Amino acid sequence: MINALVVGHAVSSHCHPSLKGRKMLLCQPLGASGEANGAPIVAIDIFGAGLHSKVFVSTDGLGARHLVHDDKSPIRNFIQGIID
Amino acid sequence: MRICQVIGRLTLNIQDPSYKGGRWLLANPLDAGQMNDACHKPQKLTSQSTFVTYDGLGAGEGDIVGVVEGAEATAPFDFPIPIDAITVAIFDTLSYQPPATNT
Repeated sequence: MINALVVGHAVSSHCHPSLKGRKMLLCQPLGASGEANGAPIVAIDIFGAGLHSKVFVSTDGLGARHLVHDDKSPIRNFIQGIID
Repeated sequence: MRICQVIGRLTLNIQDPSYKGGRWLLANPLDAGQMNDACHKPQKLTSQSTFVTYDGLGAGEGDIVGVVEGAEATAPFDFPIPIDAITVAIFDTLSYQPPATNT
């Protein structure tokens, strides 16, 4: 799981069917002491994480496929939880 | 899913039989600072290494695509295929709004 900060969103009209209608958020992975670590990645959001909220992002494809109920879906990153 | 700009295409001469009919793109990952105007203006190459990705969507040069890497890239296929990156989205807009101080 990646400790990340939500820094934006992405809109795509031409994507894999399992992504249709899904909210895609830009998440900036954070290092151990909270500094930015690499370029932002796109993760699927089902919890309604707001801008600048701290989240942890999963990189488990199996979990993502269960999430979108499509075992042909190539999604990998999805927001697993919002950190208070 | 990494955000990359498509900078070229690739044609294979001798290939794995499962690649038949496949399209290949050269993708250069974008930096955070480029994301806001990436979908409107062509971007210069970043220092991140360019890689080859299988194209499942028909993205062309200059498109901003979302690429998934790893074993999940083989999920859409019914047969075993040795790939580790596939395009899953072509972005229309990207909105990058980092917090004022990078908390």
